[in-house]
Amino acid sequence: MAILRKIKEGLKKIIQNKKSSSKGAGLAAKKKTAEEAKKETLGIRETAVEQTKFSHPEPARQPWRIPQEIPWGYGEDRAVLQVRDPWWLHAYWEITGATFDNLKARLGDTFYSSKMVIRVYDVSDIIFNGSNAHRFFDIEINLEANNWYIDTGGPGRSWCVDVGLRLPNGDFITIVRSNTVRTPSEGPSWITDEEWMIPEDMFARLYGMGFGFGRSSPVGKGWQEKMKKEFFSSGAVASVGMSSSPVKKPVKERQFWMVVNTELIVYGATEPDAKVTVQGKGIRLRPDGTFTLRFALPDGRQVIPVQATSADAVETRTITPVVTKETK
Amino acid sequence: MNKGYLCLVLHSHLPFVRHPEHEDFLEEDWLYEAMTETYIPLILVFERLLSDKVDFRLTISLTPTLISMLGDNLLQERYLKHINKLIELAHKEVERTRWQPEFNNLANMYLARFYEARNVFERYNRNLVLAFKAFQDAGNLEIITCGATHGFFPLMDVTKPSIRAQVKVAASHYEKVFGRKARGIWLPECGYNPPDDEIFKEAGIKYFLTDAHGILHGSPRPKYGVFAPIYCKSGVACFGRDLESSKQVWSSIEGYPGDSVYREFYRDIGFDLDFEYIRPYIHPDGVRINTGIKYYRITGTDNNKEPYNPHWAREKAAAHAGNFMFNREKQVEYLYDLMQKKPLIVSPYDAELYGHWWYEGPMWLDFLIRKVYFDQKTIRLITPSEYLAENPRNQVVTPSMSSWGYKGYAEMWLQGSNDWVYRHLHKASLRMTELVKQFSRHSTDGLLRRGLNQALRELLLAQSSDWAFIMGTGTHISYAVKRTKEHILCFNSLYEQIKSNTIDEGWLSDIENKDNIFPDIDYRVHQ
Repeated sequence: MAILRKIKEGLKKIIQNKKSSSKGAGLAAKKKTAEEAKKETLGIRETAVEQTKFSHPEPARQPWRIPQEIPWGYGEDRAVLQVRDPWWLHAYWEITGATFDNLKARLGDTFYSSKMVIRVYDVSDIIFNGSNAHRFFDIEINLEANNWYIDTGGPGRSWCVDVGLRLPNGDFITIVRSNTVRTPSEGPSWITDEEWMIPEDMFARLYGMGFGFGRSSPVGKGWQEKMKKEFFSSGAVASVGMSSSPVKKPVKERQFWMVVNTELIVYGATEPDAKVTVQGKGIRLRPDGTFTLRFALPDGRQVIPVQATSADAVETRTITPVVTKETK
Repeated sequence: MNKGYLCLVLHSHLPFVRHPEHEDFLEEDWLYEAMTETYIPLILVFERLLSDKVDFRLTISLTPTLISMLGDNLLQERYLKHINKLIELAHKEVERTRWQPEFNNLANMYLARFYEARNVFERYNRNLVLAFKAFQDAGNLEIITCGATHGFFPLMDVTKPSIRAQVKVAASHYEKVFGRKARGIWLPECGYNPPDDEIFKEAGIKYFLTDAHGILHGSPRPKYGVFAPIYCKSGVACFGRDLESSKQVWSSIEGYPGDSVYREFYRDIGFDLDFEYIRPYIHPDGVRINTGIKYYRITGTDNNKEPYNPHWAREKAAAHAGNFMFNREKQVEYLYDLMQKKPLIVSPYDAELYGHWWYEGPMWLDFLIRKVYFDQKTIRLITPSEYLAENPRNQVVTPSMSSWGYKGYAEMWLQGSNDWVYRHLHKASLRMTELVKQFSRHSTDGLLRRGLNQALRELLLAQSSDWAFIMGTGTHISYAVKRTKEHILCFNSLYEQIKSNTIDEGWLSDIENKDNIFPDIDYRVHQ
């Protein structure tokens, strides 16, 4: 299945990205502030609850239409860049076989000694013309990749990427250029307006409250530490950063278990028009005069008088099973 | 005189799931469960408040997909069948538990609730939307709209015409259903990306909501944090979520729904009882599912749960409502001193949290609203439009890109398991724009117009954030994958047929009949 392969590829990439980022962006990861951390615990909870809306196992069912596969691509050279969060971008692209063939024809053997790279440009506050970026960095990728997560380390900035070839002599050939995106900032804005001036300490207080730290929370470093402590002791942190799924996976402890319950089935038959009671309560007969009752059977003794009265109320029969259940 | 405001917001949403081609379709149960456990209990709460002359204010988003399903004849018919089966099962349970009084009481409670649910359903002519409309017309409820199919806007940034279509289709659908214009919009997953507000403005929308950091990280700095709305440059107002009040309900550590006397969600007789007995009430393939009859309280963490006691749960819900109100009063008093202005606390929740997940949630809401109304003077319930009418002067701030999902941005919908969808969604969107450009200037005849309109329906349905969400959670993903692919395939075929002037009318009729949402859609909004 193409799609499975695709997902696997994606996962591999994430793992690769995580690995590389754990070296390079280790510092950035440590800088994660408490409010972010708290946000994550809330997020996990909300995701888990929202997921229960869709809580069903999957039955094996036939597809309702002849399965068709959606296309791999659309036969064009195209790259799209999206913002995942203040630090990370996602790029996907398609480069046609014809484009590769042209490059091969143009470059000859050099093509094979060139590296496929994503060149990431910081294009904040400029009109990008291909050579005026504030800075850029390259990520080496394999030829088959068609999407990538990019750690920019730069919240609040504008980005554009090229997917292209870096030749052995260092020259870069752009194959496709993406759209430009802007990452959100990771904290409050430094811009204030005169008309709505606010003292720093008051804003800090409101800022903390906005994130749910309560009115008694000390502002600034103090509350950050406090939240970090609370957060790390909650156990919820274990799932953050280690798994890409926010829904708590059941902890793999030894959880062997067994449940045994008992039920009692009482059944019988009489004239279809008779009146029947069981323990004094009327029951409904099937059209053929039979009946079946099913009871959860707790420990102890149950006396179950079953009484049938003929439709003309002349005759009555009573049969009384007595059942004792004990659990050892 | 009150010192501040509390704005309670419930977001109700389910993706469009309707399968006339199948007798029984498991995922349609999402709707039926939410009706029995959330929407009907909420309607009952509102009815009781009104009959007790409690002049309450609450804001609720009803997504166009949910409204469409609630109003759909086929699904109404099926809900009736569904609730009747539950009634039958509850009768059997009353009998089966005869020798276990603690369970017998609960079986009777469920039986009564299922009858009540059917009764409400019939009273509103089988369309629960009419109930919410009545509360809005009475002035107590403010119903806001959402993206047409709950598409996640920040990941449509490269295809703005789709955001415009999501918003405009939703706004005209709202107007048709409620007989007035939508004043507010709940952004799907609170996903905001500047300057999407310009599109909201085009559709006549006056305000939207974001998560806390949407406002707190906005520029310039918001003087009152999330405790007053701001205006975007477009003039559309934005209200930020207060996380302190959210945390009290959501937090897995201190959140109310985790209290040990409340009902346990995960112990359901659909899983607990003997297979042969429960078989007629689970999936026809024999897959065990939740029935909604649950007998245990949360108790501890192991399997030995105690039976649920509705009286204890009720008392606890009242206590929790009191605690919530007390904390809001304290919060408002403190903020009032700090801000020298009446603060606004915006507390939005997933509606399906109430009743479906947190069984006592509707009861808690009922207690909270009554307590706020009768027992104190510090806070007043308010809707966003009421607040804006009373406080028209607000700071101009550009909110930050944000969502209320995992980690606060787009990651929940953009990760290894679901990122493949955007390649196709974006391409389909670009093609839709191309079709609009090509055809909207000429008068389009019946079949062509039908094809173009259906193409937009398929595109919108593919865009539901729910599919990416389910893929992101990693469990039971096949339906979500199938739906995404199916709508993309339908769209692609329509595109090819329209471009080559070879629309297959029989097939088009089939998919029109199946994906029958938004009968009045006009494809030209996608530009």
